[in-house]
Amino acid sequence: MSTNTTANAEVTDAQAGSPVFSVNNLWKVFGPKADRVPGDAELAALSAAELRARTGCTAAVRDVSFDVRRGEVFVVMGLSGSGKSTLVRCLTRLIEPTSGGISIDGEDVLGMDKGRLRELRRHRAAMVFQHFGLLPHRTVLDNVAYGLEIQGVGRAERRAKAAEVVAKVGLDGLEQRRPGQLSGGQQQRVGLARALAVDPEVLLFDEPFSALDPLIRRDMQEEVIRLHREEGRTMVFITHDLSEALRLGDRIALMRDGRIVQLGTPEEIVGSPADGYVREFVRDVPREQVMTVRRAMRPADADEEGRGPAIAPGATVSEAIEAVARTGFAVRVMDEGRCLGVVDHARLLGVVAGTDGSAGEGFSGEADVAGADASGSGSDSADASASASASVSVSGSGSGSGSAVAGADAGADAPAPVTPPGEEVA
Amino acid sequence: MAAASTATAPAADTPRFGALLRNRVLGKLLLLAVVAAVLVPIVNARWASGSWPHALTVDLTGPLGKTSDWIIDNRDSHPLFLYFFGHISNAVVVSVRGVYLVLLAAGWAGVTAAAGLIAWRVAGLKLAASAVVAILVCGWFGMWVPTMQTLALMIVAVLASVVLGMLLGLAAGLSDRTYRALRPVLDTMQVFPAYAYLLPVVLVFGIGVPAAVLATVVYAAPPMARLTALGLRGADGGVMEAVASLGATARQRLLTARLPLARKQLLLGLNQTIMMALSMAVIASVIGAGGLGDRVYQALASVDVGAALAAGIPIVLLAVILDRTTAAAGERLGAAEPDGRRLHGPYGWGVAAVLTVVVALVARLAGRIDWPDTWTVNIADPVNSAVDWMTDHLYSGVPYIGGTADWAGHFTTWVLDPLRDGLQWLPWWSVLLIVAALAWLIGTWRTAVTAVLAMAAIGVLGVWKPSLDTLSQVLAAVAVTLVVGFAVGIAAARSGRLERLLRPVLDVFQTMPQFVYLIPVVALFGVGRAPAVAAAVVYALPAVIRITTQGLREVDGAAMESARSMGATSGQQLRQVQLPLARPALLLAVNQGVVLVLAVVIIGGLVGGGALGYEVVFGLAQGDLATGLVGGAAIVCLGLMLDRVTQPTERRAKKGA
Repeated sequence: MSTNTTANAEVTDAQAGSPVFSVNNLWKVFGPKADRVPGDAELAALSAAELRARTGCTAAVRDVSFDVRRGEVFVVMGLSGSGKSTLVRCLTRLIEPTSGGISIDGEDVLGMDKGRLRELRRHRAAMVFQHFGLLPHRTVLDNVAYGLEIQGVGRAERRAKAAEVVAKVGLDGLEQRRPGQLSGGQQQRVGLARALAVDPEVLLFDEPFSALDPLIRRDMQEEVIRLHREEGRTMVFITHDLSEALRLGDRIALMRDGRIVQLGTPEEIVGSPADGYVREFVRDVPREQVMTVRRAMRPADADEEGRGPAIAPGATVSEAIEAVARTGFAVRVMDEGRCLGVVDHARLLGVVAGTDGSAGEGFSGEADVAGADASGSGSDSADASASASASVSVSGSGSGSGSAVAGADAGADAPAPVTPPGEEVA
Repeated sequence: MAAASTATAPAADTPRFGALLRNRVLGKLLLLAVVAAVLVPIVNARWASGSWPHALTVDLTGPLGKTSDWIIDNRDSHPLFLYFFGHISNAVVVSVRGVYLVLLAAGWAGVTAAAGLIAWRVAGLKLAASAVVAILVCGWFGMWVPTMQTLALMIVAVLASVVLGMLLGLAAGLSDRTYRALRPVLDTMQVFPAYAYLLPVVLVFGIGVPAAVLATVVYAAPPMARLTALGLRGADGGVMEAVASLGATARQRLLTARLPLARKQLLLGLNQTIMMALSMAVIASVIGAGGLGDRVYQALASVDVGAALAAGIPIVLLAVILDRTTAAAGERLGAAEPDGRRLHGPYGWGVAAVLTVVVALVARLAGRIDWPDTWTVNIADPVNSAVDWMTDHLYSGVPYIGGTADWAGHFTTWVLDPLRDGLQWLPWWSVLLIVAALAWLIGTWRTAVTAVLAMAAIGVLGVWKPSLDTLSQVLAAVAVTLVVGFAVGIAAARSGRLERLLRPVLDVFQTMPQFVYLIPVVALFGVGRAPAVAAAVVYALPAVIRITTQGLREVDGAAMESARSMGATSGQQLRQVQLPLARPALLLAVNQGVVLVLAVVIIGGLVGGGALGYEVVFGLAQGDLATGLVGGAAIVCLGLMLDRVTQPTERRAKKGA
């Protein structure tokens, strides 16, 4: 989770800047006369099965809006058929969207002519594919140099650049092999290197590690984390694997049937699921490894402020558990020498058991005001919308971008995050 | 027309009747019977039964003869010939002549060196050695000049076929509409016997090298077009998407991804095109191709088996070498390039070219351009005396088993004659009904309609009787082929040792041009219909055996394992698991068997097979193009009918969907 901490810092200072990708009310409908579906309020409201029965169309992406901020890892997660792969292909118009808007750095993608679109694909967004998409008749080096070759870069120059990138992804010595002679993990490193070689502004990953063995998948995830830490490149990452999403994502958009049902940090998704679907999805997640102490803490008593181990607000609950178990005292959450609150046995157990409800969120909303009164407002009756408007840091990242984030709005408005303790136990 | 209504009426009614009758086969038959019961009395009342009624034929001989005469009269004056066909004809003559002169200038040493070095670059040392030996044997048999003539014709025809095929394939591979339009045409063209292509080109170009080359191109280009289109369309979607995602232009996508991804299919297409071209270049000796095929043709005409063999062996050697070399090139693509090979890429080709030129120059300086006469061996005479001995001792009167000529005679008397007479005795409408029933039971109503229309067209053309004669030979040959082929195929599928033994034999047999098969059967059985059938059986057997073996071997291992685990005997496994599961492969074997048999039965017209093949040969020999063209059209119709009757593909596709 170390990336999370570094990335969080980047996110905070990037928040001032404009988003890299901005997607507004995007629709992709497959089928005959697909154009009419998004515009027709009645058709747009139908479920997938009804829509197919009525029109023969399939809506792969329905009214999706989100921003991808500079330098973040934006994960789109969903089961197969949820439209996530279609969504990422719409970003560079590998699949032409039916309606809506996409802009990159404020420039309208859908309005681009062929030449501009090629420029976008060549220099600004490169993609890594699930099944690698390598050219079997070329060596590793020539595969990596391929993106540069079609840009018209000279042979010597592109080979030098390719060799550099091949080394960066750990494939030294395999430059002259053919893709067929490599393992799956190595092939995907080639795919990654090919995308990196063109030095794109954004890297798009379409389930890149789904075809790999679990151990190699973990290696590759670490490779991505490392690359992101070193280069800070913006990444859009598609996956159906929740643990992968939680490991890599600064923010996660969870898709179902073409819609984003929730958009937020891993902590928000796990801590306050927007609806029953998301809750079911994240049920088996080890919460202590995702939730931070910022969410678990309560205001400190007078005597607690002075003693006990200190911990940063971004630390995970499992780190706090370790500290508490070692010392026997409640842990102080310290930020720049100020004590924000404490976590004790009861709080930590509450997180692990999933009985903390939205207490953390209600509290974290007032965190910067150092709010002693937040604790008084009670954990069960936190006003979700009030907290969302007040928050600036963690919970704000979900709804802070305003109306563009449909799923997150729904999540914030719905009473769902307020989980009655009894329901979880039963 | 009666035929059309028989077949279209059921199509409309299928759902209703299908609901009434559970059993699909019975339902179809019953429906046909009902339609027949209505139509046959009407038809019978109007036209007589028996052979195809004269009232329903259209005599095309007159108009065709006039067309042919007009073309002959205007060949030198009409602008269409002066400015279009004339140029094509001249271009062909000039290029064949040019290639031939280059080959002669290189001398035997240069050509041998070139063959060896090309085989080495493409396929490795072993094949290079075989290529050199094969070329030298051609010279040793005294066939150097005819070999070079055939080679020159082949080179021009293959180049033209590849260019034409690639262009068509590119169009079909990149545009769905072209593909949909072109695919049925190409599929159907592969069904027609080579003979059918000869007459139309002769009509336009007259007998000679241009006609031979163009017939070869028309015959050999379809596989290239087909495989190019298939290869381009089969490009891995993931790779193409990845390439597009990197911002490649349409041109870049084609040149750097789609074409290279299709390299295997392109090489397979090249291989098939070369083999088809060789096969046709030999057959085209009938229309003036010259070269090795002509030697075989002339020798067969005078039943000189020795001379035919002397020209036939070089043909087989050429075929085997060309096939192995191009096939090896395809296989090499998949394998990795060995690291650090010194003679790599263009450098290696440069070395090969330089060596060839050096060898050719050395031979020229040494005054050894033409193949030395003293280095030849005459195999015709010993072969002929062997054949004479066979004629004397094996033809007939061998105690207990009888002689080969006796067998041929018995086969003709007891199988071919009754079959032919039976078919010709059948009322014409019943033949149509049988065709409709078979085609509909095996395929769909569409294939049934095509088959019936094709059969009716034969009647309309006025060649009903000879066509049924050909049909009887085809049926007899197919029956023998299938019995032997399935038996051997099943045995090979069950015994790995037998399969290993058979494989090289089948490989050689499958690469030999059709024409060559006539030589040994003439030696064994003399001339007549029986040898034609025998040649057809030998030609079709390898394909049937191979498809059967493969089909049985590819049966799902899990199904076999579960049958074994329940204690099925090997006979039970074969009957209850392997054969039912391999049904598609077996049906394909039948289809292939029929198509291949027809091709050779037609050529059998050259060795006394008579019937349609003879009409074509007769037309060519007598300059009576009208007769020949009608015969050619009937061959096309017969091929179409036989293919459609045995074509189960469409229904399989429907079941899968």
